[in-house]
Amino acid sequence: MPSDFAVAKRRLRLLGLTGDDAIKAFFGGNALVSVVVLLLITIFLFREGVGFFGQNRQNLAIYRQAGLEYVEFIRAQQADHIALTRSLADLRLRYLTCLTEERQMTLAAANEALAGFDDYAGKFSDTVEPLRGLATELTEMATAIKTKFLVTQDQKEARRQLLAEGKSAEAAKVKIDEVDFATELKPLVGTLPVYRDLNREFARRLVEVAAAAPALPTADLRDRMTRLQQHVRDYVAGFPAIETRLAKWDHRRPVPWWESFTAFVFGRAWLTASFWQDWYGILPLLAGSVLVSMVALMIAVPLGVGAAVYVNQIAGVREQKFIKPGIEFIAAFPSVVLGFFGIAVLGQILRAVSQLPGLSWVPGFPYSERLNVLTAGCLLALIAVPTIFTLAEDALNNVPRAFKEASFALGASRLQTITRIVVPASLSGIVSAVLLGLGRVIGETMVVLLCAGNRIAIPDFSSGLGVVTQPVHTMTGIIAQEMGEVVRGSIHYRALFVVGLVLFLLSLAINYAAQTIVRRYRISIG
Amino acid sequence: MVSTLEPPVSALPGPRRADALIAIDHVDFYYGATQALHDITLGIEAKKVTAFIGPSGCGKSTLLRCLNRMNDLIDGTRVGRGTITIRGVDIHRPDVDVIELRKRIGMVFQKSNPFPKSIYENITYGLRLQGLKDKARLDEIVEKSLRGAALWEEVKDRLHTSGLGLSGGQQQRLCIARAIAVEPEVILMDEPCSALDPVATAKIEELIQELRARFTIVIVTHNMQQAARCSDQTAFFYLGRLIEYADTRDIFTKPANPQTEAYVSGRFG
Repeated sequence: MPSDFAVAKRRLRLLGLTGDDAIKAFFGGNALVSVVVLLLITIFLFREGVGFFGQNRQNLAIYRQAGLEYVEFIRAQQADHIALTRSLADLRLRYLTCLTEERQMTLAAANEALAGFDDYAGKFSDTVEPLRGLATELTEMATAIKTKFLVTQDQKEARRQLLAEGKSAEAAKVKIDEVDFATELKPLVGTLPVYRDLNREFARRLVEVAAAAPALPTADLRDRMTRLQQHVRDYVAGFPAIETRLAKWDHRRPVPWWESFTAFVFGRAWLTASFWQDWYGILPLLAGSVLVSMVALMIAVPLGVGAAVYVNQIAGVREQKFIKPGIEFIAAFPSVVLGFFGIAVLGQILRAVSQLPGLSWVPGFPYSERLNVLTAGCLLALIAVPTIFTLAEDALNNVPRAFKEASFALGASRLQTITRIVVPASLSGIVSAVLLGLGRVIGETMVVLLCAGNRIAIPDFSSGLGVVTQPVHTMTGIIAQEMGEVVRGSIHYRALFVVGLVLFLLSLAINYAAQTIVRRYRISIG
Repeated sequence: MVSTLEPPVSALPGPRRADALIAIDHVDFYYGATQALHDITLGIEAKKVTAFIGPSGCGKSTLLRCLNRMNDLIDGTRVGRGTITIRGVDIHRPDVDVIELRKRIGMVFQKSNPFPKSIYENITYGLRLQGLKDKARLDEIVEKSLRGAALWEEVKDRLHTSGLGLSGGQQQRLCIARAIAVEPEVILMDEPCSALDPVATAKIEELIQELRARFTIVIVTHNMQQAARCSDQTAFFYLGRLIEYADTRDIFTKPANPQTEAYVSGRFG
């Protein structure tokens, strides 16, 4: 029986859905798509990246099996000698400056006076010649073995593909020359007695030559020469160890699975497309990224937090209206424009500043590389400032007004209220703002690619703070630079994915830390 | 005795006494373009409890916050006319240090607002601001202030736990202890019991009775019974004007102004 109390559902249905259902499906669908896409990206990253470790292990195995590792001992020995020769050249430069500047000699006269020294240096650098000859020969041998093996690999791959396509007859025709490493290596390892003889002669010559150093005019130079001679003696003392290592070396020693991992995580070299051996070590890139980010934070934290405190606590309404959008406007700069600015303007200015005579006491000054950690860090700071400023300002805003009033009512000055109440109460928010700024900076690509100098090497920390004037390469930069030219599926390609994975995990950790800090220590002081 | 016998008009000037500790003289006060106080004149006696009553928006809190210049913290506020003098010193004189002023005039807020620090730190905050570092002296003052606020027995075993862990009434007494720790002359209380239950309210009222011997207290309250119970003088405000100011007993028993009478008998407000 129909009732006057009309509360029954009377809704339009479309495909069996009511309006409410459709709205729910629409928003729910959007959320679902975002989550699924995110998941797919993560899975893709991992899938492409994880294969790297297997390939890198093989890369390391060939290095050993083809005898590259063996030859590397001798090459390293030769490289050390070159380093010694280089410090001798450095000594010559000091000698020359001493003659021209302190003794007021003309350049020609000074060079003439250095004839004795040059003779000494020439003899010193020539001592390595026989060893260099052997090293070159061995390098060629080892490279030949490696190439042979790689050809075999290609043949196998070709056959596998033919088989996969069902062309078994053609597959059978593909000739595979298996490489027997033991036989191939025999002549290479067989050079050990020759090496021993060479080495003995080399050591004798070197000690003899080094001892006959010419007389030097100043105490400083003499001191340096003594130190160099000590280095030579240490160098020669290391020879027997090299010989033992060569004698003990065995190409059959297996490469454990974790070595591929440690070679990546602790690898000090990132060297690709090399005729000799490729290395995929993340340390130089990680060091570059961390260094640049630290410099950026050093600049951005005082600026961002300071501006936030000023705007939130001190500035009048009119100033707020001007400053807040102003700082947030910085975020509108495309980072490539900032990078361009860095190359064209900031790098030049900073270098010019570093070369001012009055500033030579600053660590790292003067420098000649216009693009370096400092340049990139300054620009990254600009990118981090809006993030840090906005979030820190929010955090300060969240401090209840009552705390401030109570503080003022007890006779606190504005500064006391800021330093003792407002900032401590919002510290968790400020810390998380800084962390999110760090996340922003560490993932930034364009600026570092353009301005960090892109030299793949672990920066030299021995110069202390001066390290910031060196060029570096970064994790983001290397991906952007190399991803375009790698072969899909190659070890290099996968190595770049692993670098991306490291970046992803790093950002994830930073964001997680920021969120946890905010949630756990909402408002508390000491 | 105060004269309240003249026929009341809306802008009736309040009583002024020669010996008043705080003298408010023809004060106009503005929030931007809005005038919140109109020509307020009244004197507050030392070592007495003075209550400000009136319906919401009548300006009683604004006047209270003028006394320690807390209104300075709000942009666009100004005293348009008149003077407020404490012991003969005009508090708006340019050479008055507002920080020194606030040290002399403590304040307790409507909503208890202990700092998110330990009980001990809350009480020593004002002292540390003044540079007091002597631990023994600080300990002594903490105990004295907590006893003064009738809170010592309840918290003496947990002085170093957060002040936010206390109940609402305890927090408010902590705020009172914090205010009296710096030994002000005047304590301003802005509806100190409005967020408390009757038991906690009774405790605060009891406390006010004890504190009146040592401090001059000005209390803003919505609760007329409270004003009747704990104050010596009562000022009734309405729409930014002082309507009547007299001994509390007189205000509640024989108000001179019909508006006052209507308000205290609960017919409006």
